[in-house]
Amino acid sequence: MKWWAKLRRRSTLERDLADEIAFHRDMRARDAAPPPFGNETRIREAMREFWTFGGIETTLRDVQYALRGFRRSPAFAGSAIVSLALGIGAVIAIFTAADNLLFRPLPYRDPERLLMIWENNAKSPSVPGLSVSPANYLDWKARNRAFEEMAALEEFRTVLLDGDRAEQFRMQAVSANFFPMLGVQPLRGRLFTPAEDLPGALGGRLLIISHRLWRGWFAGDPGVIGRRVRINAEPRTIIAVMPPGFHFRNREVDLWSPIRLNPAYNYRQEGHYINTVGRLRSDFSPGQAQSEMSAIAHALEEEHPAYNRNWGVLLEPLRDSLVGNVKTPLLVLLVAVGLLLAVACSNVANLLLARYSARHAEIAIRMALGAARVRLMRQLITESLVLAVFAGAIGILLGWYALAGLIRLAPHSITRAANIHIDWRIVAVSILLSVATGVIFGLAPAMIGSKGNLAPGLRTATRWGSSGGGNARAWLIAGEIALSVILLVGASLLFRSFLKLTGVDAGLRPANALTFRLNLPPAGYRADGKSTRFFVEAIRRIEQMPGVRAASAVSHLPFDGESPSTWIQLAGQPAPEPGKQLLAAIRTVMPHYFETIGIPLRRGRDFNPSDNASDAPLRFIVNEAFVRKYLPEVDPVGKRMQAWMAPINPFGEIIGVVGDVKEGSLEQSAVPTAYYIHAHNQYVGMTLVVRTEGDPAGMIPAMRRVMQDLDSTVPVAEARTMETVLGETYARERFATTLLGGFSLAALLLAAIGIYGVLAYAVSERTQEIGVRLALGADPWRVVALVLGNGARFVVLGLGVGMAGALATSKYLATLLYDTGPRDPMTFLGVPLVLLAVALVAAWMPARRASRLDPVKALLGEK
Amino acid sequence: MAKKDLIQGTLDMLILKTLTAGTMHGYAIAVAIENRSADELRVEEGALYPALHRLEAAELLTSEWKISEKNRRAKFYRLTPAGRKHLSSESSNWNRLVAAVARVMEPV
Repeated sequence: MKWWAKLRRRSTLERDLADEIAFHRDMRARDAAPPPFGNETRIREAMREFWTFGGIETTLRDVQYALRGFRRSPAFAGSAIVSLALGIGAVIAIFTAADNLLFRPLPYRDPERLLMIWENNAKSPSVPGLSVSPANYLDWKARNRAFEEMAALEEFRTVLLDGDRAEQFRMQAVSANFFPMLGVQPLRGRLFTPAEDLPGALGGRLLIISHRLWRGWFAGDPGVIGRRVRINAEPRTIIAVMPPGFHFRNREVDLWSPIRLNPAYNYRQEGHYINTVGRLRSDFSPGQAQSEMSAIAHALEEEHPAYNRNWGVLLEPLRDSLVGNVKTPLLVLLVAVGLLLAVACSNVANLLLARYSARHAEIAIRMALGAARVRLMRQLITESLVLAVFAGAIGILLGWYALAGLIRLAPHSITRAANIHIDWRIVAVSILLSVATGVIFGLAPAMIGSKGNLAPGLRTATRWGSSGGGNARAWLIAGEIALSVILLVGASLLFRSFLKLTGVDAGLRPANALTFRLNLPPAGYRADGKSTRFFVEAIRRIEQMPGVRAASAVSHLPFDGESPSTWIQLAGQPAPEPGKQLLAAIRTVMPHYFETIGIPLRRGRDFNPSDNASDAPLRFIVNEAFVRKYLPEVDPVGKRMQAWMAPINPFGEIIGVVGDVKEGSLEQSAVPTAYYIHAHNQYVGMTLVVRTEGDPAGMIPAMRRVMQDLDSTVPVAEARTMETVLGETYARERFATTLLGGFSLAALLLAAIGIYGVLAYAVSERTQEIGVRLALGADPWRVVALVLGNGARFVVLGLGVGMAGALATSKYLATLLYDTGPRDPMTFLGVPLVLLAVALVAAWMPARRASRLDPVKALLGEK
Repeated sequence: MAKKDLIQGTLDMLILKTLTAGTMHGYAIAVAIENRSADELRVEEGALYPALHRLEAAELLTSEWKISEKNRRAKFYRLTPAGRKHLSSESSNWNRLVAAVARVMEPV
């Protein structure tokens, strides 16, 4: 009979045999006087023996038995499955994120040989990678040997005009060798040549678009190559479409054009505004390249002291520049996940041990009746495997959701550059983990449980520890508590730091404020004052809208990227030596900006409309940091200063001082800033700031309509509330805090379950002893104390070890903490208290049960 | 009637031999063996059915549920080619065994 035929339901086979025998019996009855038929039951049993199908049926039967057992003790099964599922889900989520962000190969040829080439300034060592001056880039390119290719890119926002549709997109201007260096070919069309990457009309007309733009904006038009559009009102021809998913460091870029640097031009005084990336030659190491580049930078310092003094070179592997400041939090998370998993597994081990100890009697009876030891072990392991399979399935689901939540919580800057999806290898590893946990933790208690001397199991009186599980479980609990303490301390530290961080006054009032960007096409607004008049009109129209209290504009919104810096010079002070110039950030604003955005005015006055004319006298407003650094102890109002913006820089009068805005990150002190009125520094791109009466987000559609009426070729871009913008700033800390907090809570929950389990077991094991004591007249609470006392020893032990461990390891969190020491006393006092409280709560029910035991029942050994 | 215990393998051989006459159900096989042996050999049901199923598992027989001559459902067994081969090798073994025993039992 084929094996699959054998798997037919047992009942069918039994029925067939019954039919066969019945037939035989009937036939015999019809014939001569029948002798006794024979023991039908014996025949049946002989057949049944024949019907052992071996492996599969045994396993199926074991599984059924296991499931019945779980239905009878749902608390055990539920706790075990939940514990394991939590651990596995956490592992999947974190490892997937880490894998995608830290380990995934980049989609370029030989990505490990690609390095970002930054400049750095010896005077601001805390800022590692700064933009590059094209002059330096050209010199590096000419002089270096370490790189086989070096490319430049510049990123900005532009307005794409096609027919009557206008929208803002991000564009990267790149050198001609950029795409070949990355090893990328376009999906359609061709890349631009080095000849087209030079100044002159030819290259300026070329445009490469992303796959996403082709499919979306151009609706997959097969004739898109050669199509004519406008970028910032200038005509362009599309020459290529990039493959799907192609990007370089910024997933939101949809357009590429030639950067058209002129090798003959002296860019020295244009400032530092491009990024450079290079491919290392195969026979050079990054260390060697860094030495060579530093030497070149040094030579340039000597040759151009006025411009290059204190400027050096910093090489950074491409991947690091992408992952950068998320490395530490992720590594912390990996460790935290490991801890959580350890807690989960020890909890499961605990539960399994308890269960097998409780079934000691059953196992002993079965062995006494002749069950093979192997058979018993096999059954116990099967039970653990069933648990593991359930936990694995739930864990995968949990992991999926956790990953989705992680992505949504994570700082936009990280996920912007990543495409996170679950790797099936990780799922497979998790399943293996599940199974391994099941087997290991099923094996140990199984070995203990089935090895026993049968006699103690068959006796009804047992003492705690004699079944071999008790002490092990107590140690496991101690370990769980220690690990939970470490997690809790970490989470609390981060939480306190986060509270301090968000409590810091940003320097402006983000509530009820709306911002959006307007980029005018430069071609149409070059005439003097034309862009100023446009923005004045835009602000006027907005202020007339119902629900708007005030509106203004700024060239670079705080907390939304850097504003450019330049040197400033104060009247009456000697010219500083090269390398010791005074640096200030420059912003351009419209009148009443500070009032609109909520930056307080400290001295003097704000810009007003009469300042906002190109023939008005040049005036400046500075912030407190500027005054502290450059004009201490004098009244800054009325002083004259100049900023190096152009070949000729007139002096202007300082008319006011405003409060600091904590830029960059809330942790650093403010940067000295000087503000221009728009008429004297006519940016064509400004960010409008609108203060509203009510919910700012709801006003966005109305804003779009108003701007559409004003000029339909100028789209409203990046419309969001100021609170959203601010939120991104401490997204990283919020992310780490939330995650670690979640883990700690999970660990705490698991520890509570574990403590409850151990104590409940202790009570049930010593039931008879408790009964005796109660019967002899002991005070119930003394009895409870006795029972719990033993368990308490281990809780305290775990606490102690955990605190020591936390003290030792919390220093690794220091880089993530703001204004909170890694040995913060409140945390280290609070956590043990919390844990003791949890332990008490978990111990409450078993304790109550112990004190309520009916002595008679206890003595009789009933449970 | 004396009941003789049969060695298991011998019973298998008898069943196979009986089935060379054609397809039959379990009862018919038992009756056939009784008749051929002139009632010397009586097959117990407790031995017959396990033997039949064992032979079927070894693929020396195949079985089929059919309607019997009395209009009832019964399981009919049939020899397979492998079964025939097994029968011929078993019967030659048996003959050799019998001859050997006879030689030993000859009067000295």
